[in-house]
Amino acid sequence: MEQSLPVRILRDIAAVFVTALFMFPILWWALASIKPISAMFDKDRVVFFDFVPTLINYGVTLLGMSRSQLAIDAGLGMGVAGTEAYDSRRAIFDSVIVAIGSTTITMMLAVFAAYALSRMAFKGREGFLNWVLGQRFMPPIAILIPLVAIYKTVGMRDTDNLIMGYIGLMMIYALMNLPIAVLLMKSFFDDVPKDVDEAAMIDGATRWQTFRKIVVPMVRGGVAASAVLCFIFAWTEFLLSLFLTTDIRTVPVKIQTFVTSTGNEWGFISALGTAAAIPSFIFILLVQRHLVRGLTLGSLKE
Amino acid sequence: MASVTIKNVKKNYGNLEVVHGINLKIEDGAFVVLLGPSGCGKSTLLRMIAGLESVTGGDIEIEGKRVNDVHPKDRNIAMVFQNYALYAHMKVRDNMSFSLLLAKRPQNEIDEKVKWAAKILNLEPYLDRYPRELSGGQRQRVAMGRAIVRNPAVFLFDEPLSNLDAKLRVQMRTEIKELHERLKTTTVYVTHDQIEAMTMADKIVILRDGYIEQEGSPLDVYDHPANLFVAEFIGSPSMNLLKGEVITEGVRLAEGTVLALPKSHKAKLGQKVVYGIRPEHLKPGKGTAAKINVIEPTGPEMHIYADMGGQEVCSITSERVHLARGADLQLAPQLDRVHLFDAETGKVIA
Repeated sequence: MEQSLPVRILRDIAAVFVTALFMFPILWWALASIKPISAMFDKDRVVFFDFVPTLINYGVTLLGMSRSQLAIDAGLGMGVAGTEAYDSRRAIFDSVIVAIGSTTITMMLAVFAAYALSRMAFKGREGFLNWVLGQRFMPPIAILIPLVAIYKTVGMRDTDNLIMGYIGLMMIYALMNLPIAVLLMKSFFDDVPKDVDEAAMIDGATRWQTFRKIVVPMVRGGVAASAVLCFIFAWTEFLLSLFLTTDIRTVPVKIQTFVTSTGNEWGFISALGTAAAIPSFIFILLVQRHLVRGLTLGSLKE
Repeated sequence: MASVTIKNVKKNYGNLEVVHGINLKIEDGAFVVLLGPSGCGKSTLLRMIAGLESVTGGDIEIEGKRVNDVHPKDRNIAMVFQNYALYAHMKVRDNMSFSLLLAKRPQNEIDEKVKWAAKILNLEPYLDRYPRELSGGQRQRVAMGRAIVRNPAVFLFDEPLSNLDAKLRVQMRTEIKELHERLKTTTVYVTHDQIEAMTMADKIVILRDGYIEQEGSPLDVYDHPANLFVAEFIGSPSMNLLKGEVITEGVRLAEGTVLALPKSHKAKLGQKVVYGIRPEHLKPGKGTAAKINVIEPTGPEMHIYADMGGQEVCSITSERVHLARGADLQLAPQLDRVHLFDAETGKVIA
């Protein structure tokens, strides 16, 4: 239905307003990351754009530069002090490894599990599905203490073995993500009609060939969407990462260390926070072409 | 080229038997239509022939070999599905060549076959498109192309036209029929559309509730329905079926309303019967009194719906009739076209 001009204008204004509302905190955060301390803590007014931008915060957190040296070089020596423990390159590296690793593990398992749940009849299938969903009923904090004990016992916590630390985090994230990924993928597989499997079967494909060459390519969009969700979960997770490993500091845990006994390092927090949004953004850009709706369009009559 | 033999085939889902011992012989090169309402077991039967459903009892033979336990891909069949079931992520060419690739045919043979099929089905300009870029009719042709490249012994069609609009359906009907004339491949075609069945089939098999009600050539089934179900199911508008009692003058529908019977008939005096007469064999003329309910002009014909002794009848005539609702007229049955059915068993009184 064609809308009248005032309605369209109103609708556009509303859209811009809502977008601005959601984007504002991100913008504010990004602005804060390039503000000098004087602009951030101006007690008389709120500083929007009239400041001299500085990259100190990024230099320190992302390039490992010495904070006091940088501040002095920039003539901003006043009021800077503290440790040099703001280099976050390791944290970003750890986060990338853990997020990509756990997403890969999750999707590998979820695709198989969801295909089986969608296509194969076996005893207890419905119950299994509910059980899978039930895994998400419990808040992570409820299982945290036993998990810490288990991780300690099997040697995935407090060891100097970095690999075990990575594996530990990847495993727990995969476990946390699996239920939702399985359910999501199942609904995507359910959307591919069984006739397609049967057509492939008559064409001479084995079950594995049908799965690999026909059905999975048809749910590419679903795989991408689920992977994005898993990645974002792993990328932003704080609690489990804090408790289950001492060898690895992921970005959220690292940021939390910027809240110190002598004050909150807002500049570094906002710089790392802004920077931390970028990998997620890149990941989503990479998979978004598969997120196009209606990828299965054309297989069926719509 | 192959015949298909179905011997006492049964299908159970749990304790529920849905196909009750069907026997059917499908000759080599024949076009057989399985026709029936939803839930009659026609698709189940087709899927059993394809190997997509297990057979609970009895035997299915293709090319004289029992195939009950043979994998679908080894049955030398091809199937076209109602919703096309195309591989959406593959181009038309790849959809059609998929089975040949799996069979590890040489590339030049694959190209040749795909080209041949595309030519037959007028798909040549679309080989490098994705299914989503095609219209409904084109998609259905791709599904058929996928089937014919394999040169199978038997084609199975599962209501392939029911997703198309009316015009396209008529067009595709002709195309499928032409394809069959050309390739002469044994074809089993499932539909609930009796017009499709009548126009395409060499043999129609009418199913109901998992039993075969009647089988025969389209005209044979139309002209000689074996029972009330078939009489009503085949033909549009369907046959007039009027309940009555046999008396010396004919069949009495109600007090004072009597329909004439041919001189020789097998019904007994006083027997409760159903008097069947197709609309085109019941024309205005000296006969039984009726009162007009509604007249539908279709262009070539007029469909007259009238009340005859408390039961509605339809009469088709090519004459132009100008009568109002409630007007009286007389309708005369063509006596050699009268069907009599036993009111209790529903079977034709031969």
